[in-house]
Amino acid sequence: MKTVSLGASRPSAVNFRMPTRDNLVPIRVDVEVDGQRYRDAFTWNPRDPDSEIISFAKRTAKDLKLPANFVPQMLQSIQGQLAEFRSYEGQEMQIKEKIVPLKIDLRVNNTVIRDQFLWDISNLDSDPEEFVRTLCDDLNITDPEVGPAIAVSIREQLYEIASQSVSVMREKQMSKKGRRAPEFSSNSKAVNNAVDLFKYFGSKGSVIRKRKEWYLYEPVVDVVASEEDGKEEAEEESRRRESCKSSVPLIDSDAELQS
Amino acid sequence: MATTATTTVTVTVTAAAATANSVPTPTPPHPRPVAPPALRAPSTLGPVKSETPPTPSSSTATAAAAAGAEDPSYIITVPSYSAWFSFDSIHDTERRLLPEFFEGEAAAASGCRGPHAYKYYRDSLIRRFRARPGRRLTLTEARRGLVGDVGSVRRVFDFLEEWGLINYGALPSGSKQAKEKREEVAQQSLLPSGATVPRKLCTGCRTVCGLAYYACDKADISLCTRCYVNNNYRPGLSPANFKRVEITEDAKSDWTDKETLHLLEAVLHYGEDWKKVSEHVGSRLEKDCIARFIRLPFGEQFMGPKEDRMGFENNDDNTDEPGADVSKRLRLTPLADASNPIMAQVAFLSAIVGSDVASAAAQAAISAQSRVDLNDSEIETSINSTKEEGSSHTNGLSVNDLLKEAAANARAQLEKERNSIEQSLSNIVDVQMKEIQDKICRFEQKEMLMEKERQQLSCLRDLLFTDQLAVMQHQQRTPAAVTECKGDEKPKPVANMS
Repeated sequence: MKTVSLGASRPSAVNFRMPTRDNLVPIRVDVEVDGQRYRDAFTWNPRDPDSEIISFAKRTAKDLKLPANFVPQMLQSIQGQLAEFRSYEGQEMQIKEKIVPLKIDLRVNNTVIRDQFLWDISNLDSDPEEFVRTLCDDLNITDPEVGPAIAVSIREQLYEIASQSVSVMREKQMSKKGRRAPEFSSNSKAVNNAVDLFKYFGSKGSVIRKRKEWYLYEPVVDVVASEEDGKEEAEEESRRRESCKSSVPLIDSDAELQS
Repeated sequence: MATTATTTVTVTVTAAAATANSVPTPTPPHPRPVAPPALRAPSTLGPVKSETPPTPSSSTATAAAAAGAEDPSYIITVPSYSAWFSFDSIHDTERRLLPEFFEGEAAAASGCRGPHAYKYYRDSLIRRFRARPGRRLTLTEARRGLVGDVGSVRRVFDFLEEWGLINYGALPSGSKQAKEKREEVAQQSLLPSGATVPRKLCTGCRTVCGLAYYACDKADISLCTRCYVNNNYRPGLSPANFKRVEITEDAKSDWTDKETLHLLEAVLHYGEDWKKVSEHVGSRLEKDCIARFIRLPFGEQFMGPKEDRMGFENNDDNTDEPGADVSKRLRLTPLADASNPIMAQVAFLSAIVGSDVASAAAQAAISAQSRVDLNDSEIETSINSTKEEGSSHTNGLSVNDLLKEAAANARAQLEKERNSIEQSLSNIVDVQMKEIQDKICRFEQKEMLMEKERQQLSCLRDLLFTDQLAVMQHQQRTPAAVTECKGDEKPKPVANMS
């Protein structure tokens, strides 16, 4: 029996899309008008008609009792991000069989959550939403706003990786034009982050993690009272420095939502 | 815990109207939809379905989606047209109005995007609202608590809000009551304020559609022209799915009976001059008149047998009318307003047909009627006096009999005539046949005679020939031998025999 080398990459070029089952875009809005600040993050379906964006913006402003001059800026921000997403859409991206580590490091209202896990990029049927729902259920998170925040953060990381793979593809194509060797490792972060599967699942490794590494992969949820802000953040910083092995595209640690 | 639950429940029951039907359980109950009292006016929607929210518990062990109740004595009301709702299942209404979750590749490909996701959104939205029933749940607040893309959440939210499963009776709810009245998809028998049903409202922008609207079969959505052009509909649909539907003039403003009658009179009087017709009708444009006239349901009855139709309803009105058109028509107005549709039709027919024909028809109808009446009355009086009955019966009977006999005789005679004609015909044919046969026989005989003569002739010829030969041979015999002659002679008698 021949052992299949799992480290070999089988690249397949697909049209750009989010490497998840639903092609949804993470959108982050941060608008400041007249001293009032509105920050929000949500998931948007790019197939919705553009008229929906306007009505959504208006409705959000109305629900949050924001003055009307928020709306154009919100609109602009959302449309800009959507346009950027769409600009990638025509192009091809190369999905190598990569497993990337994703990190969650969020504080939502009074809940702090930290987690790190491996995600399979090449699985185009993956569903961050389902993952998040299960996570929240399992960790007994009562605050319903935590879920969407985590989902958005996962999506953002995946989006980042996808867009990087587009640029990899582009470089490759350009290099082909220049008649160089087709396979070369780019300097992109994503490739560096890819876990070398062979090391894990090779003849000597096993699927089960070593006990000493467990603490790194456990999710941590803390419900804090608001006075302990400063202390918490300092602790977070130190923990982050310990656990992070390579530079992973991090989401903002202060992904606060205006309540 | 149980006792407190029961006490709170009893409080609510007594406080509420009699139709409240709640089942007290300490665990979060599944609300059972109660069949609404059918004749209830929608404006006084009582608690159709009441539910005791889960008793407040201090632990935060519940899942994120379910929220603890704040005040157990609230009664949650649901409008009767949404009584189909239940937490356990997905109803057809939901499937129809939100097909993106149930149809199409997105839903089919993944169980998560599909019905499961829908149920998750719906259940969490409703639970969230019911946790704070007096307060209006905003979309932003809701979608922040739901994992998923905001477009889908918004659609589910709008759907639930429109059907009163969310934000029903919540405080800033002026618009909700107005929304109640508007029912584009009337599910239940109760339509709140059915007077506005004919108005077509656009699903997209919630305004009244103008002349035409675009209907989509797939999703049962109607859009006004503007929304259709702007593609203001759900992403699952494409422009090809929409059909253009014209709004009839009638929908805009219904024609009253009076106007209809005026129209008919005018048409009768002025014929095809629509200008005058519209003048006569009054407040209607020409094209309105034409449209309405075309759409009147009287067309087929023009052809119907008038006598039968105007049986005995027409008696009273048309018989004693001398025949002035105008006066007749004027008299028709009280008829036309009658709720009896048959009377209205009859009035119209008589107006259309003209006074003479109508009165003649009516007379005939009356006489037929009277005959029938006579017979009927005769039969009735038989109860009193049998003799009269008998005589009248026999009279009636004899008349009938005579008629029958006469008819029979006539028929018999006809038959005889026919038979005799046939007989003579066949005789003639026989005679002809005989003649032909005789002729044939004669011809045959003649032929035979001819044959005989021919044969005789040929015999004679042969004889002659032999004679000639003999003569010649005699002439030649003297120089020739005797045997040669004999040899010649022998075949000849043979030839003669044949």
